[in-house]
Amino acid sequence: MTSFTEDELKRKVHEGYIVESPEEMTEGYRNALAVQLTVQADTELMSAPAYWMAARYAPSTNTQVSAHAIIQDELAHANIAYRLLEDIGESKEHLVYGRQPHEFKHPYGFDQPLDNWAELVVATGFFDRAGITLLTDVHENTSYGPLKRALVKIGMEETFHLRHGEVWMKRLSKAGGDAKAMVQRAVDWMFPMTIEWFGLPDEMKRHSGQLDYKLKGLSNDQLRQVWMASTVPLCEELGLEAPAHWDEQRGEFVLEYPFPCQYDAVDKHWAFDEGEISWDLVFQRWKGRGPMNEIYVESVQRCRGDVGRWLNGKMT
Amino acid sequence: MPVSIHTSGGRDVWTGPLESVPADPLAATWAALDEVLDPEIPISVVELGLIYGVDLVDGVVNVRLTFTATACPCMEFIHEDISDRLTPEPWVERVEIVDVWDPPWTNGRITDQGRAKLKQLGVGV
Repeated sequence: MTSFTEDELKRKVHEGYIVESPEEMTEGYRNALAVQLTVQADTELMSAPAYWMAARYAPSTNTQVSAHAIIQDELAHANIAYRLLEDIGESKEHLVYGRQPHEFKHPYGFDQPLDNWAELVVATGFFDRAGITLLTDVHENTSYGPLKRALVKIGMEETFHLRHGEVWMKRLSKAGGDAKAMVQRAVDWMFPMTIEWFGLPDEMKRHSGQLDYKLKGLSNDQLRQVWMASTVPLCEELGLEAPAHWDEQRGEFVLEYPFPCQYDAVDKHWAFDEGEISWDLVFQRWKGRGPMNEIYVESVQRCRGDVGRWLNGKMT
Repeated sequence: MPVSIHTSGGRDVWTGPLESVPADPLAATWAALDEVLDPEIPISVVELGLIYGVDLVDGVVNVRLTFTATACPCMEFIHEDISDRLTPEPWVERVEIVDVWDPPWTNGRITDQGRAKLKQLGVGV
């Protein structure tokens, strides 16, 4: 273990010190990094079954190839993050195959079904934009060298995913009629879903190890603003209604609905009219996980078990 | 030249269109194509060796284009980027893009400059 105390390491990373190996980490640093990497890896991993089940709605073979390329990238990004976790003593095998569905740390948004092509492209437009927002901040600010370098490839690939989502959002919106209505319905539930994804507002945020150890640079509210700065103008350009606008006086984007509020996962409906709820209720909903949680996790884990048993059966 | 992350296709670094027709429009067409980046990796379609040839006849640009794989997920985006980059140029009336699969692309087609950029990005060739 390191010769640094927690306070020394916190000070050093803010002076520009880059941590390269577990030997330099304090226990607090290692734990904060493990949580961050687990969320990152699980999010990438669970986007794969969510996108894969929706890719069957692709309108052409070429488009389906594009969707599958995105899924393959997401699995590779997950693998990179799990691989980095192995460096700090975690087991990739256990993390991917040994956990129960509710133990995964991906956001609630990736526990939802994507039921048509419009939902898939808004997911790549909104959720991948959230991914880029979060990971660009980590890339620019992290004090952990191996992660900073790994994020170069991930960032390049995510720009293609985002483009896929935004190009298709434009096409469907321009087509008008049913196509645009489907995109609008997807925006209606996915916009607040992504806003919630960034977590507790800064005024309520308990002490952040990730900021103290410089594992990221921006706060939750700042990241939400960065995401809205791209997403709100995109929706306006496409004639889609998003429940947020730029407020000149405040100099920031403001939400036009009570935040946080309750979500009905069956109807994919946010209960704006029922008013603001407590974050305790949000955490309770997240903890209960969404409707596709078990199905997505099982789809990742199932064949490993089946094929493993066949192979073991043959070998004995 | 330092390598950084760009908007897909490199649209944030496109310089064109020129204000008037240059002395050598074919050379200017190649220079414009050299600004069109691969949708994922920020090196140009020229540096990647995807352009098999360019002709310019009576304002019609004919680009013979290949891809790194027959199942390239970005074919549509590359077509769109080339067309959007070239069409506004004053010597271009129309852009024709012909997909060429023979001879197949190999990584031997990547230019030295492309190789240097990939190395900087940590991408093995």
